[in-house]
Parts: sequence; structure tokens; C-alpha cells
Amino acid sequence: MLVMRRRAGESLLIGDDIEIEILEVGPTRVKLGIVAPPSRTITRKEVILTRTENVTASRNASPEMIAWLSRRLAPQLSNDNSQAGDAQGRSRHLKSPAEKH
Amino acid sequence: MPKLSTVYFPELEYTNDSIFDFPVGIPGFEDQIAFLFVEQPATRPLVFMQSLLNARLCFLAVPVLTVDPQYRLNLSSEDRATLGLDAEGPLQIGRDIACFVLLTVSEDTSPTVNMMSPIVINLRSRKGVQAIPTASEYSLRHPLVPEKETVPCS
Repeated sequence: MLVMRRRAGESLLIGDDIEIEILEVGPTRVKLGIVAPPSRTITRKEVILTRTENVTASRNASPEMIAWLSRRLAPQLSNDNSQAGDAQGRSRHLKSPAEKH
Repeated sequence: MPKLSTVYFPELEYTNDSIFDFPVGIPGFEDQIAFLFVEQPATRPLVFMQSLLNARLCFLAVPVLTVDPQYRLNLSSEDRATLGLDAEGPLQIGRDIACFVLLTVSEDTSPTVNMMSPIVINLRSRKGVQAIPTASEYSLRHPLVPEKETVPCS
């Protein structure tokens, strides 16, 4: 990894079409200004990590896995059974609180 | 009553007041702007986060407090605005908002939950968002079980 020290007001270039300027340096954060062609997508890294994880999470699970997951997570439940679905064992939708009364 | 035929529910009935709007979708699924949150007694505490526009798309979720009762939710001002919440002030999970974390099950690893980017829904405005804090103390892949335990195939 290339490491360089810069002060507020100073810039650096990546290639000849991306410029990053240090606008402000605070105690815990720095404020950056980025000039880049519109074709370059600029995204926070956390969003990219979340996107990748979401895509993996969207794969379907087997019925065995679902049964195992619910057993695994169930002992951690509190005693609150107010959201346990109806007595016939049908599925239940989450609605707004106003709808319950 | 409208119905969906989904991966997990052959016939899922829903009403319009059970739909949650996700104005910006979630990362990777930006065009999925409406979800249902369904639970059933046999698979509690799992919650099926079912896309309304794509019947084949369903995430497995779990209320964050069942994984970590001390979970501290960190919402940006943008996320608060999307949810229709006040810009400041304390948030209490369970009162006006519900908070879920998505489960990841894959062949390679044992199941994990994404504690870093929770799904937050406002039960009053029926808006939802995936919150992605800039510096989270929580893990993107928090293991559900200790390493050694065996897990059935996904």
C-alpha cells in the first residue's frame, strides 16, 4: 500500500483523471473532495461489502436449514409470544402498530 | 386478497397494509422497493423478508435482539429521513421501529448474520432501509454457531 502524508488543501492524483483533495482534517475524520469522470462510480466500502453479502444472503435455504436455524435461534427468544402468529399455525405479517387495535 | 407464490410459501396472502416501502431498495437489489415481513409459528424467530416485485427473492432475517439483546442501533440522518423519523432523539427497537439482521447460509461456511448492516423498518410510516453505518463495531459475518458445531447442508 502506498502511504503518503498530506495536509488540508493539498491534493493527489490517481492516473490523470482522478483528483482527491484533502478539504478538512478533524480529530477523527477527514473530509475529501473527489474529482473524477462520471463513468467512475464512487461508493463507500461498507456499501460494497454489504452488497456482496446481500447477494450471498439472497440464495435460498433448504427446508432442513430453515428448521435448523429456527431451532438454533429459538432458545434465545424472550417469553414474549405476542408475535407468534395465530392459533391455527398460519403465517403472520408484520403490520403497523395502529392496525393491531 | 392478493397472493404471491414464493419460494418458501406456495400461496402467500397479503394485504396492502403489510407492505413496507424501501425507497432505495437495498445494496445489490436497488430495484426491489417493496417487501413483506412474514413469520410463522413453526419457524420462529425467523422472519421471511419477501420481495413483492420478485417472488423468487426472499431473505431470511431474524430480530436483531434475539442475536444480541444489547445491540446498539446507529442510524444516519439520511436513514432517519428515509424512515420518516426525527433527525435526533433516542430510538427504541420494538416501539416504533423493528430491526432485523439478514442471515447468510452458504455451502462453504456455517451460517452468519450481518450485524453490521441491519434492516430497519418504521412500523408507523411502513418505510424500510438497510442501515450501513460508516464505522460499525459489528461484524458483517457474525457466526451463529461456534466453529466446531456441525451444520446441515444449506
